[in-house]
Order: sequence, then C-alpha cells, then structure tokens
Amino acid sequence: MHGLKLFYRAIARPLVREPARSLLTLAAITLGVAVVIAIDLAGSAAAGSFRSSMETLTGKAAFEIAGAGGVKEEVLAKLSSLPLPLRFDARVEEYVRDVKSGTTVPLIGIDLIAHAQRGVVLGEDTPISILDTANAAWAGKDLGLRTGDPLQIVVQDRLETLRVAGVFADSGEAQGPIRAIVLDLPVAQRLTHRAGLLDRIEVSMPDSLLASQSEASVRHAIEAVLPPGVELREFGANLEANRKMLGAFRWNLRILSGIALVVGAFLIYNTVSVSVVRRRAEIGILRALGLTRAGAQSLFLAEAAAFGLIGGAIGAVLGLAMAEAAVGVLAATVNALYVSSTPAPVVLGVGHIATSLALGTAVSLLAALAPAREAGGIAPVEAMARGRRDYDVRISASRFALTGAALIAVGTALCWLPPVDGRPLFGYLATLLLIPGTALLVPALVNALNRVTRRRIRGVLGVEAMLAFRSLAGSLRRTSVLVGALATAIAMMASVGIMVGSFRETVMLWMDTQLTADLYLRAAAPASPGASPLMDASLADSMELLPEVAAVDRFRTMPIQMDGLPASFGFGESRLMLEQGRTRFLPGEDREAILRKLPTGPFVIVSEPFSRKHSVGAGDTLSLPLPGGTMNVTVLGVYSDYSSERGAIYGDRHVFEPRFPNKAVTNIAVTLQPGVSLTEGERAVESLLAGKQVLLIENRTLREHAMRIFDQTFAITWALEGVAIFVAVMGMAGALVALVIDRRRELSLLRFLGASKEQVRSLIYFEAALLGLISNAVGLALGFGLAFILIYVINRQSFGWTFQFHWPGWLLAGALTLIYLATLASAWFPARTATRLNPIEVIHEE
Amino acid sequence: MSVLRMVNATKRYRGAANESDTLALRGFTYTFEEGEFVALVGRSGCGKTTLLNLAGAMDFPSSGEVWIEDQLTSGLDDAALTRLRRTRIGFIFQFFQLLPTLNAVENVELPLLLSGAPRARERAMERLEWVEMGALAARMPHQLSGGQMQRVAIARALVHNPKVLLADEPTGNLDTSTGNVVLELLRRAAAEHGATVLMATHSAESTAVADTIIHLRDGVIEEVRRAACTG
Repeated sequence: MHGLKLFYRAIARPLVREPARSLLTLAAITLGVAVVIAIDLAGSAAAGSFRSSMETLTGKAAFEIAGAGGVKEEVLAKLSSLPLPLRFDARVEEYVRDVKSGTTVPLIGIDLIAHAQRGVVLGEDTPISILDTANAAWAGKDLGLRTGDPLQIVVQDRLETLRVAGVFADSGEAQGPIRAIVLDLPVAQRLTHRAGLLDRIEVSMPDSLLASQSEASVRHAIEAVLPPGVELREFGANLEANRKMLGAFRWNLRILSGIALVVGAFLIYNTVSVSVVRRRAEIGILRALGLTRAGAQSLFLAEAAAFGLIGGAIGAVLGLAMAEAAVGVLAATVNALYVSSTPAPVVLGVGHIATSLALGTAVSLLAALAPAREAGGIAPVEAMARGRRDYDVRISASRFALTGAALIAVGTALCWLPPVDGRPLFGYLATLLLIPGTALLVPALVNALNRVTRRRIRGVLGVEAMLAFRSLAGSLRRTSVLVGALATAIAMMASVGIMVGSFRETVMLWMDTQLTADLYLRAAAPASPGASPLMDASLADSMELLPEVAAVDRFRTMPIQMDGLPASFGFGESRLMLEQGRTRFLPGEDREAILRKLPTGPFVIVSEPFSRKHSVGAGDTLSLPLPGGTMNVTVLGVYSDYSSERGAIYGDRHVFEPRFPNKAVTNIAVTLQPGVSLTEGERAVESLLAGKQVLLIENRTLREHAMRIFDQTFAITWALEGVAIFVAVMGMAGALVALVIDRRRELSLLRFLGASKEQVRSLIYFEAALLGLISNAVGLALGFGLAFILIYVINRQSFGWTFQFHWPGWLLAGALTLIYLATLASAWFPARTATRLNPIEVIHEE
Repeated sequence: MSVLRMVNATKRYRGAANESDTLALRGFTYTFEEGEFVALVGRSGCGKTTLLNLAGAMDFPSSGEVWIEDQLTSGLDDAALTRLRRTRIGFIFQFFQLLPTLNAVENVELPLLLSGAPRARERAMERLEWVEMGALAARMPHQLSGGQMQRVAIARALVHNPKVLLADEPTGNLDTSTGNVVLELLRRAAAEHGATVLMATHSAESTAVADTIIHLRDGVIEEVRRAACTG
C-alpha cells in the first residue's frame, strides 16, 4: 500500500503532469505490441483455412497414397484386396472457378456411394440419391447456393454446368468457411480429364488393428502392392511441408513486426532514463528518508511496467483492428505463394491478450533495467547537493564504441554459419547484434562530429545550431538512444527497401530472360501454388500451323514431392530455351552446352532454390517420381529462377512427355513471326480459342501481373516498416518534449540573455534536424549492413534465392527525405512548448 | 542621469481558484541613476525578485510604468523587449546559470552571439580578463569552482556593456571571501562601466558595497538609505 502511494507520488503524478510525453511513450509501446499481435492474428487467419476442406472432408486418416501424375485406379482395387481391416478413400482434387461469384473453389471428387454406405451424407436433409449423381454437385454452405440451383464452373479450359443436389454445412475437421464443391468420383474424374486416375487415396485404420500389428508392418503390407512412382506417406505430409514453408514466411513477418517493438523499447528506455535524471534529487531525498536501493529501482521498474501493461492492453485491441485490415493482403500472398485457402475470421483469444500484456510488460521492463539500476545507485548526499543540477549521466564513448565494434564483429562472423533446420537463425541473430552494435557507436560518432564541427558550425549555421549541437553532445546517452531508435527504424526501412528493390530488379531481369515469347496461354481455371490446370495439347498443334506464328513452346508443370518437400517438375521445348531464352546458370556453368545436351537423354536442370534446399548440383543424380515409376535423371546445371521458392526441376518435353498418358499442357508460349503485330497475332490465336476457357495473355500483361503479385507480397512489409518509422518519429516528438521540459532552465536562461522566441524555436528545430540527420546517416549505414544480411544470408537460407544487389536510390532518397521532414515536423510541438515557457517561473523554481 | 525609472509600479499575481490575488509589488516608485549601486533587501517574498524582473524587461507591471532609459516597457512587444535585454540589461543569478555544454568563454560570448554583435570572441575574452578568468577561458563549467563560475557569469552579464546590471542573490551560494570578490567586481562594474547595479540580497554584509539600500516589505518601500547617510 505504501509502495503504491510512493509510486503514485514519485512516478505517476509527474507522468500525469506531462501528458504529451507520457502519451507519446505509451503510444510507442502500444503500437509496437499492436503490430506484433496484428501480424500474428492476421497470419493465423490468412492460413486459418489451411487445413482446408480439401484435406479434411472425410476426417483424419492415418496415411495417404499419392504419386506424380496421379495414382491409377487399379491400385485401389489391389489395396482393397489386402487382408487388413483398412479403409481406402479415393479422391480427385482440383481448383475451379465459380462463375457466379468469380472466386476459386476447391472441387473434390469422392466415392459418394461408399460414403453413403458408411452412413456419411452431405447435407442434413439431403440424403444422397445414388442415381442422381451424373452432374450433381454438393455445395459448401458458404458458397451461398441452394438445392436445385445451377452451378457453372470453369474446370481447366472448359465451362461446365452442374446442378446443386445438396448443401453441406459440416466438413469434418475443416476450419473456417465451408467453401467446396463435392462431386461423385467418376463425375470429378470426367470433368478433370482424369479417367482411371486418382489424386490421392486416404488410408484409415481402426485402432484395434494397431493392437495386433505394428504400424511398420501395416505400412510394409501396403507398400508391397504399390507400383513404382506411387508412395505411401503420413496423412497431410504435403500439407505439413506447405505449412513449414508458410511457417518460414510467417517467421520473417514476425521478425519484421518485432522491429516496431524494438523501437518502442528504445523509447521506454529513454523515458525512464529521463525520469531518473530528472528525479535524481527526489530520489536522493527519498533515499535519505529511508528508501532502499531496491525500492528506488522498483519505482522506475514499476513505471516501465505500467507503460507496458497499459500499452499491452490497448495494443491487443489495436492489434485486432490492424489484423482485420491486414488479413486480406496477407491471405492474397498466402494464396499466391503457398496454398489456396480462404481467410478465417480474425479472433482475439485470451492467449493473444495474455501475450500482448506479457510482451508489453517484458519489453518495457527489459528496456528500463539499466536506468532503474542507475536510480538504485543514486547516493543521497550527491543527489541532494545544490548546484549539481547540471548533472547528466556521462558515458564513456570509447568503451561503448569498443563494445559496439565487438557486437558488429560477432554479428558479421555469424553470417557465415549455416541455417538451423532450414531457418536462418544465425542471420536473425546477426541483425539483432548489428542493431545495438551500431547504436553503441553513436556516442563516439556524435563526439567526433562535435569535435570536427566545433569551430565551424556557428559560423555556418548560427548560434542556435551551435547550441543545439552542444546540447546533443552534452547529453550523449539520451542522444544515442534517440538516434538508436530512429536509426533502427530507418535501417530496417532502408535494408528492406534495398532487399525488395534488389529482388524486384532481379526478378525483372529474370523475366527478361524467361519471358521471351509474345503471347502466353493457360487454362482459365485457377492455378494453385505449385499446380496449374491442364489444357488440351491439340491447341498448341493448331497454333503451330498459323502463318503468323514462328514458334510454340508447350510447357507442362506439376507438383511433386522430393525428399518429403514439395517441388515442381516441368518440361518444355529446351530447343526454344536455347534459341530464344536467356536463362542464366550459376557462374562457371556453360549455358549452351547444358541446353544442347538437355534433350538428348534423362537430363534435367534444377532451379537455384531447389539446388539449395536439396543440396543438389551439376553431375548429381535424382530419382524423379513420374507416372509409371521413378526415373533416374542427371542434373546438368543450376539455373536462376524466382517463380517459386519450392524449387523446380526442368527437362525437355521429348524426353519426359512419353511418360505421361495424358498429353495435356499447362502453358503455351507463342512467338510471332517477325513483322506480325501483336494485334494480328492475338487475333489469329484467338480464332482457335472459340468455346475454350483459355486465357490469352500478352507478354507485357504477364510481366505486369507478376510484378503486381510481387508488390502485393511485400505490401505488408512496407506497412510494417511504416509503423516502425511512425513509432520512431512519434518517439522523437516525445523525446524532444522531454528534452524541452528537462532543459527548460537552459531555454529560459537564454531568454534572460537576450534570445528571442524565434531563436529558442530554431534551437529546438536544429536539435530535431541534427538528430534526424545523424539518425538518417547511421540508419542508412546500418541499413546497408542489414541489407547484405537479408539478401545474402536470410533470403538465401530461407528461400534459396540469390539476387543482385540493387540500390533503389530514388526510393530511398524519397523515403529518407520524408522521414527527415517528419522528424522536423515532430519538433513543432516541443518548439511550441519551449517558446511558451515562462522564463521567470522556471528560473525562480531553480 | 536616470537609467531606470519605475513609477507607481504594481505587480499582481492571480491566485488559484479559491485564493486571493497576491500583490508582489505595490506602487513602487524610484529612479535609478547611472552608475548607482542599489541593494534591495527584505525578507523572502517582499518583492525583490519581482522588481528585478520588471527592471530587466522580463515582465510587465500590472499597473504603473517602468522606463528603461527612454523606453516604456509596457508599450513594447516581445521582440522589442528582447532587443532591449540584448543591449541594455545584464543578469546575474544565485546559481550562476552557466550553460553546462559551453566552456567559459563561450558562455560569456553567448549574449553577443544571440544579438549578432561583431567581435564576439574578442570582447568575451576582454571581459574574462577583466574578471581575471582569462586563463580558464577554455574550462567547462563543471571544471570551475563556485566563485569562478560566478565571475564568468559576471563577465557574461557585462559583455555587451549593459546600462542595467541585475543581480539576484549573487553571493547566496558562495563563501564569504569568494562572495566579497564577487561584490567587488559588481562595485567595479558600476564604477568603471557606469552600469546601474540592482542587487537583491539577504545578506547585510553585501549591502556594505551599495550606494543605496532599499528595504522592501510586502511589496512596498519600507526605507531607503544612502551610503552617504550611513557614513
């Protein structure tokens, strides 16, 4: 109780008396917490329907059987004859477009007769009429359809009309909205051109079986009847691999979202430091009156904890609002890059609230530890001595610089260490060391600048600039923390700017080498990450005969599993790649020799992400799972590819197409004859597309679309950067207010000595200008360091991509100018406060 | 010749919600002559500091007039008051009030820099020499003793040759011998530079150097004693 009273009088009351500064600090920590919570909530919601109806419509199975290019139906018959009480559920899966809503919907084919016999029905009041399944579809309730409604869908390159036979509300373990179309297996096979083929067979086994047999023996029995190229794996293995990749993506976002919190921590440190310095005399008196050292420390820790708790509580609510705003963008990215899913509702659980409170409090307490210790160390006599008001904590710039240099050196060394479990943990650690390392160099930098400019600054910029510089150099600890906070935010902005800029530039250059045809065609049905709908190959044959067309590249890609990781395998005309493309290979690999050899045998080239993920290079052999069994192929080279982080294997069509019973293609690239205009070419190609659901895309449009996805992917990143910068600038305003309050004696004295209000105002603006300038310079330098780590360590280890270092000069210059102007603007309120001080009152108080 | 003239100057401070107003100064009338050294004495709250603030153009009287040479302060805006302070007023404080981030000579030249006066460094050095602090010009305030700091403060107050030098308890934070050195400097400032010195003090010893001693009580002049009268 007494402690509370003391806290109220010594800490809370002064904070209430300075509402602007207190609110700004609170806002900084609130925003920091809110961003972290928002990213977590939005990330969960965006991937919430990840375990989608596609995966769990029939409940959880033990294993699943799958193979590249599908599993033949005969396999199901063989499995059913096994003398084991196992249940096999065959499935055909495809993404289709619902014409009415224009949205992507999973289409699932299951054996409805078998399900009905087991008593599983879709839709409460709609028992399945076995005779009524020819074009009958069962629609998930969130599709908004009613029994009897017509249902038009685009399947691969065709438009199909079905009839809704029932609406189902429950889909087993599915989470999130129920959006799926279920068909009887033969209907789905017919619509997706998979006659005699299945995508997966789910294997369920009763618990009683495991009592009599080991799981290994059951697996062995199943595997014995599987043909080559078809594998038995854990149920949801594919899902697990996708989840892992999505996990890496969400981790990177989490790390980025933490930046605002780090910036907030800097500002808490600053606030508590100011409190300690300002209340030095009070603490001295309290110590003299019997307050213990620990008691003094606790007062300031309680101040930080109060900021953290309140900030955490508001942060949770604000985080929920921010998550609502971010989930759409995040879901679009998840859909484009990882898995087709529908965003689930954003739900703020008790766990999130607890995390929010714990995060706010923990970060604030950590940030306040050093200043609180300092408060505990205040000797009563020293603090109470008159005439020591000019006290400012003097810090050893050289010792700080040495520590900073050591941290930077350790951080740099960590960059050479390999990833841990596919995650660039040492890269993250290196960035975490580089940030405080650089902040610790700031005092030495400010000292050096002060020495260099000591004589000249007044002559060039006037007495106000000189006073501003001296004031900053005179309170190095505070200056360093402020510069550290703003520089960290700027550095993250600059580094992500450089990373994204480099990535973007590299992707654009890569598209130049890859997209050399004039027109591209693909089925109008939606593509899912890693899989594309098929088109009739005869379309390409007809195009080849057009007089306007010079060359046609048929490309087919499909998802495969390699070493338990999802990847894609594709084949096309390597001759055209040699003649027209400019695909780049790793340094030292002979592009022409590789591409000449590619069509001559079981050879492939692999993308850089694949090479890194699977530690595969030129000369290595891969066992490629293909229809009819695995095929041993030799890797000829590693090529640059930025289309997917899953990794890709590419071979020549003439080598691999014979292994596929269905000659369909996923993409067609058309190169027009010289002299044929794009319009003429398009008209000619379109004449072959009548009645087909095929998209014809110009080269330019395709690039624009790719860049749109790229920019959309990084939109959330920019938003996070923006918040961190906003927090830092706001913190700067708060810190400048504190600076004004703290130095009101000096400012008032200047008025006594003949300074005008304008001069006092200029002084504050100069301080903001100098802080902004130093922060920009330090932030930019740190940003370059972090960009190198992001590009050459974190990205390479996370995704396997290498990009060329590109420095987006204009973007950075623009962003830095904006930040600088914002920093200057943040001085408006402090400057106003400074000019409104009553010098007589202030000097009289002293 | 009159440098500072106060006519029926009254200063009223508005009280809080349920409190009555405070009259810090009531109808103060006095004409301060060039080179006159005036000691203002009286208990705490008698109006000494208020009088100094009015005389230094830091504040306006609630009623009455304050003339600094030919300028009526209540008719001036903030910019004009600032100009007046820059050219005609010098302040000395009990706690020295040196800027901790500037060294001795930089502190002294500050008023000249703020007003944009020429030869600031040269003139600041001259003043530092005058207070016998030339050798310590590069020292930072925390490297100086209390007496040294106050000498630097006097040099700063005199650097722009003000007509009025206002000192609020200038020896209040110093031991007797150091305080005497400071008083002697103030005495010399009046004698050699012709500055009118107004010194607020509690100390009876300090008044010994003054030409005139004004006793204030509850904001009004209780007694004015001239050095000649006191012998």
